[in-house]
Amino acid sequence: MKFNLIDAVLEQSHDRIVAIKQVSLAEEYLADHFPSFPVLPGVLMVETMVQAARRLLSDRGETRLVLGEIKGLKFGSFVRPGETLAVDVTVTGSKDGTYQCRGKGRVLRHDGSRSDETAVSGRFTMRPIRRVLPG
Amino acid sequence: MRWMWIDQIIELVPGERMVAIKNVSLAEEHLHDHFAADGELDALPVYPASLLIEGMAQTAGILVGAARDFKEKVILAKIMRAVIDCEVFPGQTIRYEANLEHLDTAGAATKGVVSRTEAASGQWEVIGHIDLLFSHADQSMTGVDVPEHNFVFGENLKIILQSAGLAGMVGGDR
Amino acid sequence: MPDSAVLTQDEILEKTRDILMEALVLDADEITPESSLTADLNAESIDFLDIVFRLEKTFSTEDKPFKIEPGELFPDNLLDNPEWVQEGKLTDAGMDMLKERMPHVDFSEFDQDRDVEKVAANITVASLVTFIDRKLSA
Repeated sequence: MKFNLIDAVLEQSHDRIVAIKQVSLAEEYLADHFPSFPVLPGVLMVETMVQAARRLLSDRGETRLVLGEIKGLKFGSFVRPGETLAVDVTVTGSKDGTYQCRGKGRVLRHDGSRSDETAVSGRFTMRPIRRVLPG
Repeated sequence: MRWMWIDQIIELVPGERMVAIKNVSLAEEHLHDHFAADGELDALPVYPASLLIEGMAQTAGILVGAARDFKEKVILAKIMRAVIDCEVFPGQTIRYEANLEHLDTAGAATKGVVSRTEAASGQWEVIGHIDLLFSHADQSMTGVDVPEHNFVFGENLKIILQSAGLAGMVGGDR
Repeated sequence: MPDSAVLTQDEILEKTRDILMEALVLDADEITPESSLTADLNAESIDFLDIVFRLEKTFSTEDKPFKIEPGELFPDNLLDNPEWVQEGKLTDAGMDMLKERMPHVDFSEFDQDRDVEKVAANITVASLVTFIDRKLSA
């Protein structure tokens, strides 16, 4: 599968980014997740937030940071084909090349139904790639 | 492409533990985007951490589902904690070990260890820990709309259970 | 700790605070006995399951497992029963049921409102401590 999940950036400042991922039946993995009930996999919501954070941090000169840690990340509403996941990620701190982030993803719908549902929310950290275990 | 992020079940102790492995290969399309060549940077295929979490979720999800004969709709509800200490690269194999910590009508909690190895070495090193919380979609209080039928455990499950000699775990009507 | 020793309320509060810090990703100073789990600490129903499992693990001993039944600590499937909820509000029978099922929660103020969506907001850290204390002593 193609693995660039950010379809558009809506807002960006020094420590905050808002970006979207469209969900479409054209995406092949939906055939498996799940047959007869296609929904965006939770880990792809996480990946969307990670890619948004990576983009934000690369503008600070930190390229190719990866996900290091997650704490208390919850999943809420499903995101279905025809709907959009809008992620809002803020960098809350940094220490020794590791960045702490907080992210939230909302479901956007085009049918006019409730637009304030949270699909995903939680905290994560971004760090440089490691080929071997530290220490 | 298939949304199947484990290749083989190595061990299943019902109600307790499951171990699965996944081979990482350059044949996997997503590695060509993660990461693609960019300006002066060369392409650098790195297995995405989010897919490590999915591999653990599939391993733990089957363990949890098996504990109730795959009658429940086992949905990943919360990543309590995930720590990944180093990356995985093409040519390496990932090992997921999931342990069932709690199970009740509303859902289940699992604790997991992720390890990696070079194909030839046979030596595993622990690279991360992933602890997950699943809800049983019909019984829990999460209130999300789910279909009547069990959409979670389908054909892919049968295939992977069959190859581990565990096809007997899946009943007739599901 | 010897099995016969009973934890004090302070010790229960400490352990409960640690659990809430982990489950809800909060700092110690954000959690007081008066904090409402949902209104102040932003706990949602999936967090209730997480909290129940952590409480069971923390307060179980070899001799005495600490098992919390569905609906015993947090309200469960209230909307399912028309005897208890009518048009989004708890009936008298519903209020009696809540008080009986959840004696660890103070519903006196809630009696004026009775909005079913707000039941969970009445559960405070102090009511968790009361619940645990009663169960350990039973």
